[in-house]
Amino acid sequence: MAGQHNNIYKPLRATLEEVIEESPLIKTFVLIPDEEFIFRTGQFIELSVEGVGEAPFTPSSSPLVTDRLEVTVMKTGYVTGIMHELKPGAVMGIRGPYGRGYPVTRFSGKEVLILGGGCGLAPIRSLLFTLEHMKADLEKVILCYGSKTPADCIYKPLFSRLNSIDKFEAYRTVDVTDDEWDGPVGVATKLLDNVRVNIDNSVAVVCGPPIMMKFGTIRLLEMGYRDDQIYLSMEKNMSCGLGKCGHCMMGEFFVCKDGPVFTYNEIKHSPEIWK
Amino acid sequence: MTVEINSLKQIRFFEKYTDEQLGKIAAISSVREFRVKEIIFDQYDELSEVFVLLSGSLSLGITVPPDKRIHLGSIEEGHLFSWSAVFYPYISTAWVIAVTPAKVISIDARKLDAEIEKDCDFGFKTMSKIAQTISHRLSDTRFQLMNQLNL
Repeated sequence: MAGQHNNIYKPLRATLEEVIEESPLIKTFVLIPDEEFIFRTGQFIELSVEGVGEAPFTPSSSPLVTDRLEVTVMKTGYVTGIMHELKPGAVMGIRGPYGRGYPVTRFSGKEVLILGGGCGLAPIRSLLFTLEHMKADLEKVILCYGSKTPADCIYKPLFSRLNSIDKFEAYRTVDVTDDEWDGPVGVATKLLDNVRVNIDNSVAVVCGPPIMMKFGTIRLLEMGYRDDQIYLSMEKNMSCGLGKCGHCMMGEFFVCKDGPVFTYNEIKHSPEIWK
Repeated sequence: MTVEINSLKQIRFFEKYTDEQLGKIAAISSVREFRVKEIIFDQYDELSEVFVLLSGSLSLGITVPPDKRIHLGSIEEGHLFSWSAVFYPYISTAWVIAVTPAKVISIDARKLDAEIEKDCDFGFKTMSKIAQTISHRLSDTRFQLMNQLNL
């Protein structure tokens, strides 16, 4: 549900301060909202362009920063195509935040293993900021991330930064290499073979394309994670954000209202889980 | 170069083996080194060694007729490769080439077969680990295929 605004249907005006090109198809929009904007990591917003339309995104910035919001947008269709044309100074709308984010208080005292792929690193980045803030209460944070090519990797400086933080480890792989890349080659799940975690005292977070979420979850279960230790950030065509329109229904759940973050235990019987 | 039990203990693949079992592996193993771009084995080669990467980076791929070489992924330190050497007809399904100077443990596959026959516990552990390697390779390949096909 909306936090600071009285009207949950009305977008908050925000000015586009900067556009960061992350990869050929992905840009990060730095927005300055007219009012303080409060969200919890993992919650999503509806970002709009007046007269064009809106689309759901999970902010990629820290929830501790309330006067500036970063949203990473992959160009996939009409609305996101128009967004990619916007220049600094443009006005956008932010509706939300909506849904249930990551229950980070439950991560206290644990090792957090994060598996991400493609644009799924956007919500994870926000989560990482939160985990960095609470690192005194955590045992360890491990990020395993895969992108199709080295050029498709977003937030490249994030990895070296994470590896310089005490208790944090970050690993990258690519599906297809180029002449410059000298790191691991293969799908994101391959990185899990090398991580060392105390599974009994650990939670796993998975966010990325459905196919990665599926294979990632299977590999985590094989490693010994229980269903309720695996957190999945689902994307299901969220539209109204309020559990009214039904676009994002997944079994008995409205992803926009009951999610987008679920434990695997909650949704494993949903036939639409990996679609 | 001979292999010490203590150095096997540092490698994830050899976790859960007893010292006695590690001794059996060490006795049938040696360390081999490969230069950059050196082919460790080619696709369709008949294999007689199972390898575990100690250091360096290797590339694994397949050749599609007539001669297109497709890179499928890298092999990381501590991982087993050349599993075909344990299963009849011992023909490799892929090629492996050194991307950086690489050091590997080479295990004599026929002698390993003999140890597996003799010691059920050793055999079960070894075959479980090899099966897991193959299972991960298969799962990763499916994932990769679906990614490439944008499914």
